[in-house]
This record gives sequence, C-alpha cells and structure tokens, in this order.
Amino acid sequence: MRRGLLTVAIVMTALLVQAVIINRLGLPGGWPDLPLLVVVGFALVLGPTYGVILGFCTGLAADVLPPADHTLGRLALAFAVVGYLAGLVEDVEERSVLTTVGVVALASGAAVIVFAGVGGLVGDNRITATAVGHSLAATVIYDVVLAPFVVPLIASAVRRTEPAA
Amino acid sequence: MLLLTAFTLITLDYRSGGGGPFRTIGNAVFGPFERAANAVVHPIGSFFSSLGHLSSYKSDNKKLKAENQQLLERLRLTDADRAHLAAAEKLLNLAGRAQFRIVAAHVIAYGSSLGFESTAEIDVGSRDGVQRNQTVIDGDGLVGKTISVGPTTSTILLGNDPDFTAGARLAGSSQQIGHVDGAGRNDPMTFTLLGTRSTMRPGDRLVTFASIGDRPFVPEVPIGRISSVQPTAGQLFSIGVVAPYVDYSSVDIVGVVVDVPRVPKRDSLLPPSPTPSPSSSPSTSPSVSPSESQSPTPTPTGTP
Repeated sequence: MRRGLLTVAIVMTALLVQAVIINRLGLPGGWPDLPLLVVVGFALVLGPTYGVILGFCTGLAADVLPPADHTLGRLALAFAVVGYLAGLVEDVEERSVLTTVGVVALASGAAVIVFAGVGGLVGDNRITATAVGHSLAATVIYDVVLAPFVVPLIASAVRRTEPAA
Repeated sequence: MLLLTAFTLITLDYRSGGGGPFRTIGNAVFGPFERAANAVVHPIGSFFSSLGHLSSYKSDNKKLKAENQQLLERLRLTDADRAHLAAAEKLLNLAGRAQFRIVAAHVIAYGSSLGFESTAEIDVGSRDGVQRNQTVIDGDGLVGKTISVGPTTSTILLGNDPDFTAGARLAGSSQQIGHVDGAGRNDPMTFTLLGTRSTMRPGDRLVTFASIGDRPFVPEVPIGRISSVQPTAGQLFSIGVVAPYVDYSSVDIVGVVVDVPRVPKRDSLLPPSPTPSPSSSPSTSPSVSPSESQSPTPTPTGTP
C-alpha cells in the first residue's frame, strides 16, 4: 500500500517536472527523460513484472499528459519494454555504478527505438533518420548523466518501504 | 497483455485521427495539474532560463563582485520579471496594430516525447473562448496554432514541429506565395516558394497567408526572414531557409487570435528591416503604408 502510493507520487512528480521544468531548459540537442529513469530505478529493485506494469502505466500517463501530440500508447509500449529490460538485471548482487549506467543507456536507446519504430509504422512524419539520430544521442547521453543521481535515490526510497514481513 | 493493450490504444487513437477524445480527456484531467505545478515552479523556471543569458550579465558581474550570491540571484529574478513585462507589452502592441482580438496566455509546459515533438501547453482553454485550429502569436510573430483544447488549458503546435505547415507570402509582393514548414528542433524551418517566375533573396521577409475562414491562420502575422536560398534547378518551386522571428525554444507569453475584425494592412506588422540589406527590395516600415500603384524607388545608401 505504502509502496503503491510512493510509486504514484514519484511517477506523477517525474512527469510534471519533465513537462514543466526540464523541457523548457533549452539544453542543447535535447533533454534527459526523467520518467524513463524512474521506471528504470523501480525495475532495477523490483524486477521485470513490476517493471513492465509500471513502465506501461507511466508511458500511458506520458502519452496522455497534454502537450504530447502522438498516437496514444506509443510511450506506454516503449516504457513497458524499458521496464522489462531493466527488470532483468534485478538479481545482480551489488550492482556497480557502471552496470546501472549501462542499463540506463540501453533502456534509453530502446525507448527511443521502440517509440520511433511504432511511429514509423503509423506514419508519423516527425520520425526521420536525422530526428531519430538526434533523439537517440541526446536522450542516451543526458539520461546517463542524470542516472547516478536519480536511480540510487529511487532505489533507496523503494527499499525503505520494503514490507517488513 | 499490456503490449496488446498498447497496440489496441495505438490502433484506436490512430483511427480516430488527430485530436481524438483521449486528448480532450487528457487535457481536462492533467491540465489543472500542470497549471498548479507551473504556478509553483515558474519562478524556479525563470531563474534557470535566465541562467542561459549569463554571458550578457558578465559585465555587470564584475561590478557586483563584492555583492553576495543572494543578491545576484535576486538580480536575475528581477531581470526575468522585466523580460516578462516587455514580452507582454510587445504582444499587446502587435495585436493592437493588427486589431486582432487575442486571448493572452502563459506557456505552462513543453512537450518532448523523447525529443520528437515541439508542442507546448498554455493556460487558457475553451472557457476563455479558445478553439481548435487558431493562430497563436507572441510579440515577435507567429508561434503556432492550437491543436487540442481543454476547459482551462490547451495544446499548441509550435512552428518548428515537423508537423507544422503554414501558408506564407513574401512581404512587399502580392503574388509570391508558398508554404513554411517546421523541420524539428535541430533543423531550420524552410519556405517553399511556388511558381517558376517567383524569386526570393536572402533578407526577404515572410508573413502568413490567410487560411480559409482565417483558421488555422490569420493573415499578415510576421514569420521570419529568408536566410539563404537552396538551389533547386529545374523545379517548379524554390526552397529558402527561414530564420524565424520567434525563438520557439523559449516562448513564454503568447496570445491566441480569436477574432480578426478587419484584415490588417499589407506588411504593416513586420519589424523594420535589419541592417541595410544588399537587396533593394522596398522595406516598408510600419508607419509607411505601401500602395500598389506607386513603386518606391530605393534610395542608394552607403558608399558606392
């Protein structure tokens, strides 16, 4: 119960911070994607099943959150894949920072490719080779930079709500 | 299961075309949250955005070296406020000259969706009289158009989004028309000039060409200047790269044009031409009304 509330609160905060602050920073090239990092953070602690469900819900919320203007469900699909992939690394004992950073890089790349791939299938003319290249580079780099700050924070928050059996 | 649901949603939404019911629901449900969040973080946001202009403060900074950090921050915030006021004034000025009826708004959130989209959320909606497919301007010119409207918030498509297209006309002529297209954040806007007998030069200025019934675009809104012309030999059109008047990455105070009582005078809204351009195209300053019958002779300036 507590964990559920915590999850909803963190995801909503991440989505709003992304839309209201991060996206208007005017960083060169692109932005980090905070909701994606949150999904990765949760999945790394709680495993692939939790990861895929949380990824789907977070992605769906990001699909609906107003300034978004693409076919509904694309981010849901992309983030579900991300949650699953990150969840697979759950069992690794004593992850090093490098593993976390590697997972984040991989997850960011996967998200962009799934989002762009489905976009290509439904004929979104925003998806061009250069746009994908730019997005891939920017998202992966910024996410990796932000990961060491965000992911451990979420992991420790989740562990604190560990149901004390 | 979830993947299946995702695909079903994609299909459903794709079938219902743009601005389906989900979007309106999204606007109604999440809009208020974004409004609230923006109210909290806007001062923080302006602080961060003012950081971007740090270089211009450098000279000030030297004088203020003795001052403490707190004072410096306060200075930046005041500067942001002043910029705000100036932007609002400029918007009202442009709308006044054009006699557009506008609904003024704040940008409260930006869209990104992994960097592919260039959209923004503003804090006015159907309750303020905003409708889908209306022109959005700021003090410098064309910002975009509304694409989905909720009760108290609406989403606008910015000019640099790849989905953005607007009819445009070269200033100072009547027949030189074409369309302006956004190409994403990392590529410049382009202007496609239609017709083989039409020509454009770098420095030429663009204004919107009215859409049918002024939706989505009202006429005469400044868009930008041609910065270079791409060679398109043997084509029925030519393409120019556009330097827009509006900086799409930092729009803040905008106005949605809800009514055009009278069509503004041709080219009357354009900013004066910057630095004497090599082209001798008659640059019409706002005070001089261009008339078709009289052809202004360019006065030679500068050294021969």
